[in-house]
Amino acid sequence: MDLFKIAKYPFIEEAKEWVRKEKIDVEEILFDGIYERARNRGVERVMQALYKGIINDAILLNEVDCMMEVLSYPIARMLVVAIESDYLLRRYALAEAKKAYENMKRDSPEIIIEIGKEFGIEFKDGCIHFTDYLKFAPTWDIKWKLVNRELRQGYVRLDKNEIARLLQEAIRKKIYDELSYLFAPQEVKKVFKEEIIAIRNKIALKERKETEKYEDINFEDFPPCIKNLISAIKSGINVPHVGRFTVVTFLNAIGQSTNEILKIFSSIPDFNEEKTLYQIEHITGKISGTIYSTPKCDTIRTWGLCYPDELCKKIWHPLIYYRKKRRK
Amino acid sequence: MNQKFLKKKFYLYYLNPKIDFPSRYERREYAFIHFGEETMHRHISFNAKEKLLDYLKVNVPMHSYYSSAYYQNPSADNMNEKKWMGADLIFDLDADDLPSADKLTYEEALEKIKRELMKLLDFLIEDFGFDEKNITVYFSGHRGYHCHVTDKRVLELGSQERREIVDYIMARGLELKEIIKERPIQKGKFLDKTLEINPEKGGWKGRIARAIIKFFKEIKEMEREKALQELEKIHGIGRKMAEKIYDVLHDERKIERIEEGKIDQATEFKKIIKPLIKKIAISLYSQTDEPVTADIKRLIRLPGSLHGKTGLKVTKVSNIEEFNPLNDAVVFGDDMVKIKVEKPFKIKMKEEKYELKKGIVKVPEYVAVFAIARNFATHS
Repeated sequence: MDLFKIAKYPFIEEAKEWVRKEKIDVEEILFDGIYERARNRGVERVMQALYKGIINDAILLNEVDCMMEVLSYPIARMLVVAIESDYLLRRYALAEAKKAYENMKRDSPEIIIEIGKEFGIEFKDGCIHFTDYLKFAPTWDIKWKLVNRELRQGYVRLDKNEIARLLQEAIRKKIYDELSYLFAPQEVKKVFKEEIIAIRNKIALKERKETEKYEDINFEDFPPCIKNLISAIKSGINVPHVGRFTVVTFLNAIGQSTNEILKIFSSIPDFNEEKTLYQIEHITGKISGTIYSTPKCDTIRTWGLCYPDELCKKIWHPLIYYRKKRRK
Repeated sequence: MNQKFLKKKFYLYYLNPKIDFPSRYERREYAFIHFGEETMHRHISFNAKEKLLDYLKVNVPMHSYYSSAYYQNPSADNMNEKKWMGADLIFDLDADDLPSADKLTYEEALEKIKRELMKLLDFLIEDFGFDEKNITVYFSGHRGYHCHVTDKRVLELGSQERREIVDYIMARGLELKEIIKERPIQKGKFLDKTLEINPEKGGWKGRIARAIIKFFKEIKEMEREKALQELEKIHGIGRKMAEKIYDVLHDERKIERIEEGKIDQATEFKKIIKPLIKKIAISLYSQTDEPVTADIKRLIRLPGSLHGKTGLKVTKVSNIEEFNPLNDAVVFGDDMVKIKVEKPFKIKMKEEKYELKKGIVKVPEYVAVFAIARNFATHS
């Protein structure tokens, strides 16, 4: 058992295996003074997820460091579940996944493949099967669209960092899904009483900020492409990824909040709130740092989503259309 | 009168039909349109093959469909209760969606759509790596082909993932700068760009590179004037630019560089790429939102059933090059039948040419069924 490995990737099967073998039970982790370091680090994991969106690596010098690090992971999970906030859950799952991503980038390809196999990903000469690729790739991003990838005999060629990026999504999804249907033991609420209150307050503050009213937005001023897409989405027609992407970037650019954007998508046939929210937050830069800009008319045209009217002839970007209309 | 005639003929076929039952047939939803009715009978399921055959015999449907999806309760009448389990990947290539559909005759349309089908199969096998035994092609009974992919790895793909596959084969969202590297190079005082291509690569990268090389070869082998004309056909290329390209292709040193995968004068040569991509991609412009399907719960014609608008059988195609729907999908006999032609038409069926003018004529039964089903004639 490589303790250093499971300290870096505490979500893998091997880590669970190790905890089982060491026969450490929940009671001990929560109350035994010897694990105080692990408890502190567990709280830190959640705090960093909330405040910074990523969890910093701990310094791992010896086996005890590793042990504490491994145990801090289930503690953090229990804490997140005890707080009962979907916002935190999403942020936490992503922060853990990002931490793993940073580690994988520095690690050997063998480790990446090993982790990939845990998610049922098929590897062949460093390439992965396109069905696995599609499950995890952020294909709303033009450079991740399958059409722009080297696909041969069913396998997509990716470099090491790209595979790590796909795994980040797989890890995030796994953690989110697991924690969504778990309940925290009562003791957790007692042990971390103060932390739970502090974190809940912080979350309330953050959420309030996000739902603050933006200026009135007039649907009638939208360019026809966006209008068409929004009505299609609202009437339950399955709109292509690029179309959804365009709508999100547009609404974000004119100052719509994440929640308002989310509302529009709630009627799509395969609506998945968690996934949609994640995509919106990614596109709008809330979690990725990059704010994707609204595609220009040329691009929208090549996607077959352009239905021009008179004003469209004079402009090259949907946002210009909107601004011109507003000025009138 | 017409409907009655068709129904009678269909009945005779359905007494002993050659149905290819879909895999996991009990998990599918079936739907039918009966003669003389407009609404669809939906949410039907069969737990035994004989029951489906009985249904066809008793009801003699004009159109028969089954769902590409598998459900836990295929006969439930809403999606939530049906409980989706997975779906085959189905490509529906219909000549009606071809760019110039309305200008083509029936036979031309069939031939054109066959070219698209060949491209599709090449994508599915070479790029997506599907085993040929997991791909089945059916003639739709009308003006198209259905391609069913039953590889177990695609069954659970959602609609967004399927859409990525559709985008791939149609080159939708293809971004040239993601695929072909442009390297700036110093050329005297100026900065020029070089395109880097590699025919050995997979995906669109390789496909585009191979198409460029092939195109260069063709141009090079043409006479100067013809080559220039050919180049000028491309949008954005005028005489001057055509000459420049032509000269590059006859410059030994530059040819060597191209063979190394480096194409200088990126600006000029990039103009060639767009039309080449169009040629490689599947080009269908559907009126509906989906040219080829990304839907995870659509209805598809039942293989072996008859198409009510042609009387032709939804037929499994084993040799695409040789398949001729107007021969191989014909199920009716050659007893002579009297029909009244309302709209003159030409057709070649079973190796026999028919040129029918207005009025009453005697034709073999299969021509009669086709003409009446297509509303070109009435039964007299």
